[in-house]
Amino acid sequence: MEELILELKEGIIDVLNLEGMTPADIDENAPLFGEGLGLDSIDALELIVLMDKNYGIKLANAEQGKEIFKSVRVMAEYIQANRTK
Amino acid sequence: MIYSIGDSIISPLAMTSHGNFDAILRGESRLQYYEHAFGLPEPCFLSLFDEVRLDQSFSALWDYGTAGYTKMEKAAIIAASQAIEEANIAADRDNVIFILSTTKGNVDLLEENPYEPERVYLWRSAQLIAEFFDNPNTPVVVSNACISGCAAQITAANLLNAGRYQYAVVVGAETLSKFIVSGFQSFKALSKERCKPFDANRCGLNLGEAAAAIVYTTGSDFTQVPNNALILRAGAINNDANHISGPSRTGEGLLRSITKVTRGYDTSRITFINAHGTATPYNDDMESVAIYRAGLQDTPVNSLKGYFGHTLGAAGVLETILSHQALKHQTVIRSMGTDTPGTASPVNVVLQPQPTSGDAFMKLISGFGGSNAALLMEIKRNNESVKTQCIASLQREKTTISVISECKINDDSVILNGQTIITRTGESDNWMADIYHSIGMQYPKFFKMDNLCKAGTLAAELLLKDVDFDRETVKPDWAVVLMNQASSLDDDRHYQATIQDADNYYPSPAIFVYTLANIVTGEIAIRHKIGGESSFYVFPAFSSELVQKTIDQCFAANPELTQIICGWVDYDNGRCDVRMYLVQLTINN
Repeated sequence: MEELILELKEGIIDVLNLEGMTPADIDENAPLFGEGLGLDSIDALELIVLMDKNYGIKLANAEQGKEIFKSVRVMAEYIQANRTK
Repeated sequence: MIYSIGDSIISPLAMTSHGNFDAILRGESRLQYYEHAFGLPEPCFLSLFDEVRLDQSFSALWDYGTAGYTKMEKAAIIAASQAIEEANIAADRDNVIFILSTTKGNVDLLEENPYEPERVYLWRSAQLIAEFFDNPNTPVVVSNACISGCAAQITAANLLNAGRYQYAVVVGAETLSKFIVSGFQSFKALSKERCKPFDANRCGLNLGEAAAAIVYTTGSDFTQVPNNALILRAGAINNDANHISGPSRTGEGLLRSITKVTRGYDTSRITFINAHGTATPYNDDMESVAIYRAGLQDTPVNSLKGYFGHTLGAAGVLETILSHQALKHQTVIRSMGTDTPGTASPVNVVLQPQPTSGDAFMKLISGFGGSNAALLMEIKRNNESVKTQCIASLQREKTTISVISECKINDDSVILNGQTIITRTGESDNWMADIYHSIGMQYPKFFKMDNLCKAGTLAAELLLKDVDFDRETVKPDWAVVLMNQASSLDDDRHYQATIQDADNYYPSPAIFVYTLANIVTGEIAIRHKIGGESSFYVFPAFSSELVQKTIDQCFAANPELTQIICGWVDYDNGRCDVRMYLVQLTINN
C-alpha cells in the first residue's frame, strides 16, 4: 500500500503539473481538493484519465470521482480493490 | 446602424434558412445516437451532415469537383453563397469583408492531411472561402470558443461602423471530428441521450455540424432598411474572470453583457431570449442566474440545441438567423428537449410555440475562456419610425490612446519597453519556465498552461509589473484583445497525440481545454481580474496596423473601456512570437 501511495503521488504531480512539489509535500490523508493543492474541476477530470490509463479503472463521471479523490489514501485503497492492470 | 440583407443556414436538417425554420417548427432534428462515431469507443448523440447532399449543393456552385475543399469549407461556401445571393451584393468588391467564425476549422487534418500543410490554419480556410468569391480583402477569423458566432457579428458591426466596409459577410462554420468529440467526452460534457436544455434532469450537451451566414450592411437612414430586416441594436462581450472552463456560478460576465445591451432600453419589448442553453448542468444554471439577476425572469427563454445540438462556431450565427425567422413569422420557438424546467434560478422556458407580435429578441452565448456575449436585435416592421438608437461608433471628441507599456518575447529574448531584460542561455530547453522564474512570478497555475497561454500570461505580467491598478476587484473597464496566426495549433498537436493511437487512447481534458486560442485571454482575465471584453482573432501574419485598428475599434465599441491588453501572441512549431501592449484611453479636458 505504501508503495502504491508513493507511486500515486508521483503520478499526480506529473499529470497535474504540480511544479516544485515532491511526494513528501503531499499528505496522503489530507483532502486532495479544496484548499490543499489548489486543484480544480479540470484536475479532477485528469485524475479520471490517470485512473484509466495506469490502473484500468473507468469512472463514469466527476461525481463518482468526488468520493474516490477524497485523499491519496482513499484513492490508493480504491485502486487496490478495483485495478485491472 | 447595421442590419442584415441576406442569410443562410446549411445544417443536417435543411439547406436554407427557411427550410431549417420550417423543419424546427415541425419538431424535426437530425440528432441521433452513434455507437462509435469517428471510431470512438464511447457512444454519443450527434447531428451530422449528409456529405452526399453537401457535395451535391457544392457542385452546383463549383465546376471543378468537390475534392479541393474540406467539409467545413464547403458548408461555409454554400452558406455564404446563398446569403450573398439574397443580399444581391458583388462580393468581389473591396467594400466587402469576410468574417469567419469557427472554433476548430480543419483540425481533423492533424490526423491525416491530404492538402497543403497550411490547411490546418484557420486563416487559410478563411482565405480560401474569401477567394472563392474573388474577394480582395484579408478575411477576419474570430476564434472566441463558443461565443464566436455572436462575437463575429459584433466584429462586423465594429468594422462597418468604422466606415471601412459597406458589407460584412459573417460565416459561422463547424464540422465535427474525432478531435472535437473525444475532447468533449474527456470533459464528461456529452449526454448519451438527447439533450434537455434547462431541464431539471439535463445531463450534458449534444454536438452538431452546421454552417450559417449573414450579410450585414450599414446605413444611417432607418427608412432605407428593408421591411423584416434584422437590426443589430447592441452587442457586448464580457469575461467572467473566474475559470477557463467553468462558468461563473453567479453569471457575472453574462450579466454584465445583458446589462450593457439593455441599458436605456425598455426590456418589456424583448419578445424572447434565445439562450445558449447547452444542457450542461453548469451552463444552464449560470444563464438562469444571469437572466434572473437582470430582472428578466418572466421573459420567455428558449434554446435551439435540442434541434441542432451545439454547433460551436456556427451556433451564434445559426441561432440569430432562426430567432430572426421566428420574429418574421410572429412566433416564439419552443425549447425542444425541455420537459420539466429546473435551473438554479427560475426562468420562463418556452415549452410550447407562442404567437407574438413583438419586434425584439436578445441572443445570449457563453463559452470556454470565461467568455460571454449578448446581442440585442430588432426586426424592422412596416412603416415604423426610428424607435431606438442603434449600435454606432462612438463619437468621442477628445480622447487620447497611449501605450503604457510594451512587451516582446521571441525565442531569444524578452524586451520590456525597449530594454532587453532577459536573454536566453544556450542550453535552455524550457524557455517559458526560465522567464517565469527570472521575473519572480508566483502562480502555480502557470505550469498547467499550454505554451500559448504561458507566453501571453508572461507578457501580461510584465506589461503590468510597474503599473498601479486595482488588483483585487474585477474591472469591467479593462479588456483583453489578442490575435495570432496559429490559433491554438501547438496545443492542438499535443492533444492529437493523446488520441492518435487507438491502443494508447487517453484523451486529456487538461490538454483539450487549451485547444481554443481565446483561452489565453481568459487566463489573463483571471490573473488580473479583467471583466470587460475578451476577444481573439486569427490573421495570416502580424501587422502593427491590424493591432492599431483593432484597438481603435474596441475602444469605439466599448465606451466604458479605459485599458486594453492587446496585441499579437503566437506559439507555433516551438517558436514564440509575442508583441503585446497595455494601452490606455484618456479623455482630454
